[in-house]
Amino acid sequence: MHVDNLPAGGAAPPGTDTGPAGPPPVVTARGVTKAYGRTRALAGVDLAVRAGEVLGLVGHNGAGKSTLMRVLAGLEPCDTGTVLVHGRQASAGDFRTVRMAYQETSLCPDLTVAENMWVSSRHCLPRVRWRRAASDAVRRRLDEMFPGHGVSPRDRVEDLSLSRRQMVEIARACLVDRLDLLILDEPTESLGPDAARSLYAYVRRLTEAGTAVLLISHRIREVLSVADRVAVLRDGAVTAERPASGLTEPDVLGLMGAHVAAPPTFGAPTAAGTIARDTVAELLGATGPGLREVTLRVGKGEVVGLAGLAGQGQQEVLERLWRPVRRDTTVGVSRAYVPGDRQRSGVLPLWSVGDNLIVTALRGIARRGLRRPAEERAVVADWVKRLSIRGGAEAGITELSGGNQQKVIVARAFASPAGLVLLDDPFRGVDVHTKTDLYGLIRQEAAKGRSVVWYSSENAEMAHCDRVYVFRAGRVVAELTGEEISEERIIGVSFAEKGEDD
Amino acid sequence: MNIRVAGPRSWSGPWVWGFAAAALVWLVILVISGQGGGQTVSLALSLAPYLVIVGLGQMLVVTAGPGNIDVSVASVISLAGFVSVAVASATGSAAVGVLAGIGAGVLVAAVSTVAILGLSVPPIIATLAAGLVASSITLSTANGFTAVPDAGLRAALNLRPAGVPVLALAIAVLTVLVAALLRRTVYGRSLVAVGQNRRAAERAGIPVARVVAMTYLLSGALAGLTGALLAAYIAPSADLGTRYLLDSVAVVVIGGTLISGGRAVPVGVWGAALFFILLDGLVNLVGWSTAAQNLLKGGLVLFVLFLAGGGDRSGGLASLFRRRPRPAAATPTTITTTITGDDTDG
Amino acid sequence: MAQLLAPALPGRARMRRSAPAAVSTVALIVMIGVCSSLQPGVLTVEGLTLVLSATVPLVIAAQAQMTLMAVGDIDLGIGNFVGLVTVVSATLLVSSPLKGVLVLAGLVAAYAVLGLLIHLRQVPALIATLGASFVWLGLGLFLLPTPGGTTPGWLASFGAWQPAGLPAPLVPLVVVALLVYLLSARSALGVRMRGLGSNPVALRRAGLRPVASRVAAYATAGVLGVLSGLVLASQTGGGDVSSASSYTLMTVAAVILGGGSFAGGTAVPWGAAVGGVTLGLVSVVLSLLDVRSDMQSAVQGVIVLAVLAGRVVVGKVLR
Repeated sequence: MHVDNLPAGGAAPPGTDTGPAGPPPVVTARGVTKAYGRTRALAGVDLAVRAGEVLGLVGHNGAGKSTLMRVLAGLEPCDTGTVLVHGRQASAGDFRTVRMAYQETSLCPDLTVAENMWVSSRHCLPRVRWRRAASDAVRRRLDEMFPGHGVSPRDRVEDLSLSRRQMVEIARACLVDRLDLLILDEPTESLGPDAARSLYAYVRRLTEAGTAVLLISHRIREVLSVADRVAVLRDGAVTAERPASGLTEPDVLGLMGAHVAAPPTFGAPTAAGTIARDTVAELLGATGPGLREVTLRVGKGEVVGLAGLAGQGQQEVLERLWRPVRRDTTVGVSRAYVPGDRQRSGVLPLWSVGDNLIVTALRGIARRGLRRPAEERAVVADWVKRLSIRGGAEAGITELSGGNQQKVIVARAFASPAGLVLLDDPFRGVDVHTKTDLYGLIRQEAAKGRSVVWYSSENAEMAHCDRVYVFRAGRVVAELTGEEISEERIIGVSFAEKGEDD
Repeated sequence: MNIRVAGPRSWSGPWVWGFAAAALVWLVILVISGQGGGQTVSLALSLAPYLVIVGLGQMLVVTAGPGNIDVSVASVISLAGFVSVAVASATGSAAVGVLAGIGAGVLVAAVSTVAILGLSVPPIIATLAAGLVASSITLSTANGFTAVPDAGLRAALNLRPAGVPVLALAIAVLTVLVAALLRRTVYGRSLVAVGQNRRAAERAGIPVARVVAMTYLLSGALAGLTGALLAAYIAPSADLGTRYLLDSVAVVVIGGTLISGGRAVPVGVWGAALFFILLDGLVNLVGWSTAAQNLLKGGLVLFVLFLAGGGDRSGGLASLFRRRPRPAAATPTTITTTITGDDTDG
Repeated sequence: MAQLLAPALPGRARMRRSAPAAVSTVALIVMIGVCSSLQPGVLTVEGLTLVLSATVPLVIAAQAQMTLMAVGDIDLGIGNFVGLVTVVSATLLVSSPLKGVLVLAGLVAAYAVLGLLIHLRQVPALIATLGASFVWLGLGLFLLPTPGGTTPGWLASFGAWQPAGLPAPLVPLVVVALLVYLLSARSALGVRMRGLGSNPVALRRAGLRPVASRVAAYATAGVLGVLSGLVLASQTGGGDVSSASSYTLMTVAAVILGGGSFAGGTAVPWGAAVGGVTLGLVSVVLSLLDVRSDMQSAVQGVIVLAVLAGRVVVGKVLR
């Protein structure tokens, strides 16, 4: 350890499991914190990635994995703490040997594979005849990594299948004259099993040559079989660092742990199985992009949860219920939607709280297309009071904190006469007090006979549901009712590969 | 809630500038010509309403959000001029003629609307193409066109009791109606919501397609009305509407309406229209050419545009034109997490 | 089976992408066929020269439009810009060639500045270029209030150039398309421009500045606009600021006919050339068919809408 080289005031070196004899760290994070607005994504991370090792990084949704990666790759500065590259305080140029393969890929879809290589690796390409050089390099790299990949450097990225795009993305990240650290973000999510095996074989070769690899994946078994060490990220901090040998999947799941459940201060969910409810909405064997044979039903006055890892088909179900155009979906009542990404699809930024709140209910209140301001004001005042929205009805929506904005968006849906309210993971980045208020609201409204379909990436929230469908790869892999709904159970089911554990 | 007329927060600024600039130009005219300013104002008030009507329609379209623009207004005005004069002289009723002009505008707008919503053609191309069709019809009508505008309507348009044009009063009422439409009706609120954030409006249960269709049809109707009145005031001609394309966009920009959509300022259209008309008068007075007029107008639009700046490029024009799914951009919002200080347990 | 299907995928996608240009090419051939059946002289060198010459400035302007559409913008000022260039070449370029050349260079620089401001101030290119179009118009009227003037001798002799054995208009058509192809499709700068239209986030992550790409695209469009104006002036033998006002829509339509898209990210120099010639020939065919000139713009408008409608259908079929 080159502790002497460190600038004064650096945090204490992180606990090392491999002992002082281990190889030198390539990139080290010390006490790194990072906040987006009021949301703390990283709360003091200490982590070192050593030359020649594969470090697996696991953690649940929202544990801060993506943010940590971006900080380690030098894409974003951290708020406090330091990131060291080769033991030195890193400046922008030092990160050139740190490369990252993005899960959602960082390719230009309209450009060819070779042209994309120029975009990201132009420093290592000649100025003239770069196209041929890039083609040769990417073909060689792809041949090495994924034999039989079937990608031609002249293909346009948008024409490639998802798995081939992922191959190109990983090859893109590896195409550099010197690679010290390779960050792989869910690399096998869209790769087939063969390609995944080839990738990990290549990762082994890389590490033998001294490159460090940081592997982020929610496929715990895969991480355990590939990684030398496993770091568990939880609530924005590394809570455990263990050698991978000897660890089992349940061990890791245990280390990832459960969030503390919010106090059940309001009416506990009733077991749905015991009460016969009228069906208000139903999917019967719905199949399509992102969905495979999904069958679910929503009863009147029922709160139905859609759980599982992010992007496993839950949002597609919400989409089907919101716009029931296909024959496999029947919805018998009017609907309202609470979007999760409030900046992109929630807030109407030029309007006040009251305007934002009433926009859905407006239609029902108006007579012959004309608004009735007095009635609207009454409804708004009622909801502002009920959810104690700070600033009142006249405040501009953008002046509010995220939590209060989200209250307005939720109130917008519930202020309408909709019989079915769809929640698209709306409580991300919302503080605990607001959440508690809104959980209470959901139960109250359900008790009044409204149905709620609730997708959440935070499994603890599912405790407020009557029934929970757990999704994996576009399928319902489990249906949990009443007492069965627990965070451990949901995590277990959603991480279980091929659903064989259930 | 900003149901009251002119919510002070979002309104106080933008529309003032058009009037201020108009007043400034008026003062300059006064100083140069040394004649009574009242006559200048009266003349401006009798010319500005035509620009205001078409500007109000363009304002509604621009308010529908980035990428929305109606470039068929010029051809619609010319076409509606011929249609209204022809129908008025055939039926002998000026009112039916004006209605026919409005109808012609709605028909052209219907073509654009079908293309925009049905074929996902970007609005600029859809309205350009519809405008081309309209101008072809205009040209073939113009050949051997003999009907003359209704004398009664022309007299009414020229009526200026005590120097105040009746038309200006009527269009002032129309402006108030448009303002009320935007603030007091479900359609108006929906339009403003769609313009602010199309996705959010859709998620809030607003029928976006219907609102957009309604907006283009309204713009077509208002352009048709302009054409019908203008043809009666001057005379129908194939290039009756030519200057109104840029002018209608310009009065919207200068009037303080948000060019990225979501905030309409009907009053501002008046200020900007008066400014433009007075500027024309000043340029004529000084003896500058049409070259200088064009330079001034184009330069002013660019100046106001670059001064005001636009919103977030990610929500800009390009994103509206995208139809293919793109890889999601890794913005900080997508990686925001659920951790808060209160949430961490020991 | 899957391995059999998989390689077929890009082929199908490539087919979908090149379908518009292919349709335009077929339409082009059909139209030449119709022309020659109506007027057998069309298929001779002189006939083709006559038919094609009017399309040359349009196609070059379409290349300018294509460059801007590749970065995701639209230029509503190109028509008046081309008109302004004809005015400059009929006035300043004759009276004081040095000043004329400087003014033309200044116009290119103005385009670059326009692109810079559009990027920095994040305003819609649509409205900014619409405003700029009136500046071009004003400048043109300022220099030459009524159409007229004469073009310099070298420009006129270019217009009258008649190589033996091949139609003269083919030379500028092919040369310009080739140059634009080399720039936009083969060069690193082209990759940056298309990358900007395709995925600016990827560009930024790779450390490339989007503003440079946009300015480069606007400067390129300015150069092509100047070229188009010079060629137009060489054909008309004088300057008229409104002589090219129809180019604004026609160029967009030509790019669309050639397979370009409003989304940005694609460069279709050959497609734009084919699309431009096709659109230009429409008026020739219509006049040979004795369709009244009034209806020509309507036919062009309908063709654009029909092509876009056809694309929606083709896109659904080939999905």
